[in-house]
This record gives sequence, C-alpha cells and structure tokens, in this order.
Amino acid sequence: MTPRRHALPLLALAAIALALATGAHAASSPAGFSATVDRTRISTELGRTFVFRSTIANEGAAADDLIAHLNIVSLRSDVYVDPEDWSTHRTRYLGSLAAGGSRTITWRLKAVNSGAFDVYVAVLPRSGHARRPVTGPVVAVAVAGRKTLNAGGILSVALGVPAVLGVLAVGLKLRRRRA
Amino acid sequence: MSRAETVDAEHPRIWAVVLQREVRDLWTGGRALVMCLAFSLLLSVIAYLVATNTDLNFLEQRESVSLTLQVATAVGALLALLVAGDAISGERERGTLETLLLTPAPRGQIATGKLLAALTLWLASFAVTVPYVWRLGSGVGIVMEALAVGLVVGTLLAIFLASLGILISVFSNSNRFSLSLSLFVLLALFAPSQLPSSAEQGWAGNLLMRFNPVTAGEHFVGRIVVNGHSWSEDISWLVSPVIAAVVFAALVPLAAGRFISLRGGVSG
Repeated sequence: MTPRRHALPLLALAAIALALATGAHAASSPAGFSATVDRTRISTELGRTFVFRSTIANEGAAADDLIAHLNIVSLRSDVYVDPEDWSTHRTRYLGSLAAGGSRTITWRLKAVNSGAFDVYVAVLPRSGHARRPVTGPVVAVAVAGRKTLNAGGILSVALGVPAVLGVLAVGLKLRRRRA
Repeated sequence: MSRAETVDAEHPRIWAVVLQREVRDLWTGGRALVMCLAFSLLLSVIAYLVATNTDLNFLEQRESVSLTLQVATAVGALLALLVAGDAISGERERGTLETLLLTPAPRGQIATGKLLAALTLWLASFAVTVPYVWRLGSGVGIVMEALAVGLVVGTLLAIFLASLGILISVFSNSNRFSLSLSLFVLLALFAPSQLPSSAEQGWAGNLLMRFNPVTAGEHFVGRIVVNGHSWSEDISWLVSPVIAAVVFAALVPLAAGRFISLRGGVSG
C-alpha cells in the first residue's frame, strides 16, 4: 500500500475524531448574526496606521449584549505578534442589537512588524454562555519593511563623540602641564 | 540692617562671581570634561547596542530613543548631584571653607553659585546627548520632541538632585558621607522605576510613581516618546518634578544661609 492509500482512511478517522471532539464541547453559535468587513486585503508599511471597518448585523431576533474582539495572527512562524502593540482598543462592548439592526465598528491599527498577517474580528455574547463565537472574514495585511535606522550612522556618533571629548580632555591636560 | 543684608544690597550678584569661579575650576580643572567623556562612553555603548539589535522594529526604535534619553537624563542629573554633593563638604574637608566664609559673600549666594555651577554639568551632558538622539530618532521623526522633553525633564531633575546634593553637603562633616548619602538617595529614588509594570497599576503603585519626581519624570518621557502622547495629555506627571525642583532650589539659599559652618551637622 502506498503512503497515499494510507492517507485516506487516516484522514477519515481524523475527521470523525474532530467531529466527536467538537461535539463533546457542544456550543451553539449565536444564531442569526453575521460579521462582515469592508475590505479583505490591506498593504501598508512598517509604522503606518491603517483602518478597516467591520459590520455586525443581527439577522434574527433581538439578542444578548455582544462583544467584538480583534485578533492578529502572523502567517510566518518567526514573527512574534503582540496584538496590544497593534491596537490598544481591541475589545468593543456593543450592547444588544435589535432584530434586523447592525453596528459598524472602526478598527484602527498600527503596523508594528513587517510580514504577512491575518486580522479578524470575533463576535461573542456577553452572557458568558458556552456559545461558539461568530468570526468575520479574514483581512490579509501585508506590511512592507522600512529601514528606519542606520547602524553605521550610530557608529560614527558612538565613536566620534567620545573621541572629540577625549581629545579635548588630553589637550586641556597638556595645556595645564605647560602652564 | 544685618551684615549679610548689607552685603546683599552692596553686592547683589555675588552668586555670579561664585558661579564664574566654580565653572572655571570645574571645567578648566578637567574634572567636568572627564565626567562628560565617561558619560559619552556610556551613551555610545547603549546607543550602539540598541541600534544594532537585529529585531529592532518601528515601535522598538521609539523605545530605544526613550531608553537613551532616560539614561541621559538620569546620568546627567547624577553628575550634577556628584558635583553638588562635593560643593560644601568638599571645601570643608580641603580646608578652604574657612577662607570662603571669611569673605563678605552671603552664604546663601555662595550655595546658589555652586548650585548653578553643578547644573552646567547637566547642560553639557544634554549637549553630548543630542547627536545620539538625533541619530536614533531621525528615522521615526521624533528628534525635536524627544530633545524638548529630555531637556525639560532632565533640567527639572537636575535642579532637584543638585539642590538635594548641596543640602546634604551643607550638613555633612565629611565628603565621603555627603557623596555616599547622595548616591543612596539617588538609588532609592530610581528603585521604583524597576518595579514590574503590574505594580504600577494599583493606587499605591501609581501614587508612588507620581509622587517620586524621578519616576514621574521618566514616565513622562516614555509617554511622550514611546506612546506619542501630547504634552497636555500627561502633564500631571510633571507636577512632582516641578514642585521638587522649585522647593529644593528655594531651600538651598535658605538652608545655606543658616547652616553653613566650619563643622557640618552630621559626621561620617
């Protein structure tokens, strides 16, 4: 049997196990809610601020108070992301939405790392019931690097300033000795 | 009219004469220049380390400017404190205080002249800091703001610490005791800045940070340089550095006028 022929039953088993595991933590999602974003792709530069909007709509009956939470994930394993650096206002308490109502939230973020990132908004009820959150579409963010610091430049200062002061100190000492 | 008041009226700018002589001794004697050289070496090491950090990114670059500025203000104020701590007790120990006290110069004005001379070391330290901040901060466009906040906070802290050094020196019988106590107080004032950020969240931690002029000043620098806040947004953090600078600077001529004597009040 080739590896590919092994893979199919294994995949089926994994799918069954996953379904059972999900069922074990049974969580009903807040029915009738949707989260959308005004764009799905953003290109920016390191250090720049960018903005996108998400709209939470209640397509069902009036519901609990809701919370919208912003998350950022790096697609590269070598880039560490601290979401608090990107946005200082990641959690929004929305209150309750009337049936058929919607609420648009503006998210302002600062690109503090370069690389490829996915940003998404999760909406969950404030009641604390074990419900699955509703997540909006992913916004793919590409952050181009920007060289802002010239290490060679600092070397000239790091060597130059003490050198100038050293020359002044030696000159002063020689002058005093002659005097 | 007392003798001191008569002298004050006749020679209203004796402090300027003392300042001139102290500055000449400090700078042409070479002591201040050597201190500035040591200060620049320290800044060079710190600036080079933060600049060559391969993980440096946009946010951390602001932090590197803030770190360099905070070290510069702290060490610059320390240099002023060291010179001030030697001002009276040093004269006393070298046996030159008697000659100084025999002159008609009012003691308050002598201390004021010495305080201003000690502050020239802070101004020189700040001048040395400028090229480092300029190099580190030019990429993110915060040079002028960083230099302005560094000058304001550093000057307030230098006035406070140099005045404190003069006061300690007035009451110390030995120079060793004066300098040891000055350094101990400085370390005690800087110690809360090493507390974990979670400790600053509670009311007690926040009060301690705001009450201590050194931690409040350093916090203000961080808010402006790292977080990009406006000055008015965090101006409350400048209250304790301003009060400390004004109160301690006012105490110097008052305490010196009453308490400078050939023997200090406290011996080491």
